Amino acid sequence: MRVSLFATCLGNEFYADACADAVRLLRHFGVEVDVPEGQTCCGQPAFNSGHQDEARRMARHTHQVFAESEYVVLPSGSCAGMMRSFYPELLGTDDASVRSLTTRTYELAQFLVQVLGVDAPGTGLSGRVVAYHHGCHALRELGVRDEPVALLRGCGAEVIAWEADEECCGFGGLFSAKLPEVSAAMADRKLDTLPTVDLLTSADGGCLMQLSGRATHRGVGPPIRHLASVLWEGVGS
Amino acid sequence: MSMAEGPEGGGSEDRPRPHHNDRAGARARILGKVRDAITKRRREPHPGHFGGWRDQAPEDPVEQFIRLFKAAGGEVCRFDLRESASEWVRNFIGDYATVSLGTIARREAQHGARAVRIEHTDPADAEVGVSMAYGAVAETGSLIMIPQDGRRAQLLPPVHVVWVEERTVFPMLIDAMAALAKELPSAVGLHSGPSKSADIGQILVKGVHGPGRLIAVLVDDKGVQW
Amino acid sequence: MSFTGPGRYREESAKMLRDKPEMRHSVTQATRTFDDHRTHAFGQVDGERWRDWARDVKTHLLSNLDIYLEQAEESLERNGAHVHWAETGADALAILEKIVEDNDVKRVVKAKSMLSEELAINAHLESLGVSVFETDLGEYIIQLLGEPPSHIVGPAIHRSLDDCRRLFHEHFGTPLDAEPDALAAAARIALRQEFLAADLGISGGNFLAADTGTVALIENEGNIRLSTSLPRIHVAFVGIEKLVPTLGDVAGFVQLTTRSATGQPIGNYVSLIQGPRREDEPDGPEEVHVVLVDNGRTNLLADDTAWEALRCVRCGACLNICPVYRQTGGHAYGWPYSGPIGAIIAPGLLGLEKAMPLPHASSLCGACVDVCPVRIPIPEILVHWRERAVEEGLVPLAETVGLKAYTAAAERPVVFGAAGAALRYAPLELGGRALPILSGWMQERSAPKPSPKSFMQLWKEGLE
Repeated sequence: MRVSLFATCLGNEFYADACADAVRLLRHFGVEVDVPEGQTCCGQPAFNSGHQDEARRMARHTHQVFAESEYVVLPSGSCAGMMRSFYPELLGTDDASVRSLTTRTYELAQFLVQVLGVDAPGTGLSGRVVAYHHGCHALRELGVRDEPVALLRGCGAEVIAWEADEECCGFGGLFSAKLPEVSAAMADRKLDTLPTVDLLTSADGGCLMQLSGRATHRGVGPPIRHLASVLWEGVGS
Repeated sequence: MSMAEGPEGGGSEDRPRPHHNDRAGARARILGKVRDAITKRRREPHPGHFGGWRDQAPEDPVEQFIRLFKAAGGEVCRFDLRESASEWVRNFIGDYATVSLGTIARREAQHGARAVRIEHTDPADAEVGVSMAYGAVAETGSLIMIPQDGRRAQLLPPVHVVWVEERTVFPMLIDAMAALAKELPSAVGLHSGPSKSADIGQILVKGVHGPGRLIAVLVDDKGVQW
Repeated sequence: MSFTGPGRYREESAKMLRDKPEMRHSVTQATRTFDDHRTHAFGQVDGERWRDWARDVKTHLLSNLDIYLEQAEESLERNGAHVHWAETGADALAILEKIVEDNDVKRVVKAKSMLSEELAINAHLESLGVSVFETDLGEYIIQLLGEPPSHIVGPAIHRSLDDCRRLFHEHFGTPLDAEPDALAAAARIALRQEFLAADLGISGGNFLAADTGTVALIENEGNIRLSTSLPRIHVAFVGIEKLVPTLGDVAGFVQLTTRSATGQPIGNYVSLIQGPRREDEPDGPEEVHVVLVDNGRTNLLADDTAWEALRCVRCGACLNICPVYRQTGGHAYGWPYSGPIGAIIAPGLLGLEKAMPLPHASSLCGACVDVCPVRIPIPEILVHWRERAVEEGLVPLAETVGLKAYTAAAERPVVFGAAGAALRYAPLELGGRALPILSGWMQERSAPKPSPKSFMQLWKEGLE
């Protein structure tokens, strides 16, 4: 089995180590990984802010880069959601190649559980208390709710319930820059309701950037790390 | 006088009224805009009556009514004789100085051996109101109040006692609507519990404008024609 | 305080967060409670099928609206009600003004109605010298405060018990530690006099059944029943999208709406109003007027994406679940309809330019889609209005230029990589504040730290 990793724009520049850990994880489970060189941005920032022509150009580019891939895996729920949910609308619903790409595209945890059938990958997180932030697009566009939690538990972590675990962190792409005060208040609600944990993790670079940016600014909260890195630690290699 | 007469009927106005005199024009323009908007789209079919909630485990309609009515804060008394219900109501209202009786309910309070004439007070001044329900709805725990009995007695006194015969408990609201639709009065009120509000600090209070106590007197008198 | 339009949403929301943090607390508590009740109520029924049904009835209704409007008019007139047609808000006010003048109306009681807020009926009546009392307890509280409503269902949820205690102490002399029961009793006494003295009662309409000409109204306090039963005249303002084909449909919709709004199986009072009192009825209004209001609704109907927003039953579920709404409550939105539904109908009702930036007042988290009882695709409509805003040049030039440059780079991986690498040499900590798009980000958060090496670099160097 061969997977093309799409690091995504945010992942490539800000979460390079997490992308590397995603590659390590995939290899650990016997997958051959390639990283197509032409990859850039899925187009989501433009799409969500109404710049449809620009979004279409980036979608077309990304489609070309990954057209031949057996699977495309992203360490980002929202970028995977963008490709799965909106590429047909942007590039043509009757394009068989586009439709096929959407069905071969997975968020990392989703891929590990749904395609590879991973359940109890290791013991590296034994004794660790972890909170998981559900990124909105992984949750609602991809329907990924149980997979990341099951993987964390499968590595021995205690994943604790949290009243705001399914609430938006306030990132929302350009939303966080257009309406920064409300966006920050949304992050505060997440951080202020967070129980005492050893670490907070999520599968989206955008959410992590928002939560850690706000936590650092206020000097609160536990360490915040990308799910790929936490799981790589969890497999105990 | 209806606005329906439009410009023809309103010709003697001395002040110009550019808006409301043009009823026919406004009507035509709104309908025209609606048609322009939908003409390019398909006219979608009606999905039919929704029967989904009929899938729930069947529950005796009277029991279901009682369960939901109580859950919404209502009180229930059940009688199998019309006379005993009358007597209970007479005893209950005997504790109040002023009583208001609905037009239909007035008759029902007179059953039984110790029937007495009850002094009727205007609902605005009464401490308790007594009404007769058209029926009830199991699905929603609602009493169906009709205006022939008088609306003020249903709404103004702080305590409201309502007679309802068990055989008039409809399983579903849609069944009640179908029955009502045959001869709709000017206004129907579904009363499913006492007046309540949580507008002050999200804390529940009862008796805000309507009655703070709502008592359903259920009668299952199979021997007597109601 | 009154609404000034959505244009100042960013400033107003920031001000609310800075100056009134207690309101954020009240709103969050109230909306979470509403949503918990909704979740519980939907756990008892086949909610998914019910929502499909409701979507399909409203879609049918909207795609045949011309026919149903004519049928509703015919039914109402058959019942003895007067039917009026208002193209604009000004038309609706003029119709009311004529009724008021023809009947020498001096005192009005008003049941809670979002459409009446949209039309600013109170201000107009007051300008005519007519006294008007809001009778819903929440509406009465904000009328005393001189504030507009902040939520479709709970107009005063932004106010705490202590706020109400102070308010009622000022107006009625109730003790500063009075319990809610005592406060409600004071309001009951004050408003009871108004109910008995009013010449005219105003209501909205949750639904209007075309087959029977029935205006259906849902509430818990009894004030709507009183407002529509006691005064000699009843005027109901009904948006043209509030129609449903049949009284049988009303049976499904009143239950769906209350389950979505407050989690109740049904409101404690539902009024089904056909027309004026009849000969065999001892009381009730002698005149019933139904004003069918367009006021921009046909603009929404004509939009091939946004028309679905007209299915809305105003349950408030999307406000309750919305993480954006929860931070500020409704006032920041600058007009009566706040939250996700307010953001998608504003461009139709106010025009896109006046509605900006409300289509951007969402992180597109999609939580509203999970709860909408008529399945309005809210995020899709938000993105649609954002696209229209781009087409009409209503977004900052810096954003458009920036995204065009970004897109051009994204099509050239070498350029894209080089631009990314530049981040490591011109850290956001220093330069970010100068960039138009990033300055807002930097104001509230610490700058994100670029990885020492990009992933592509790590990959090329070889991963262990």
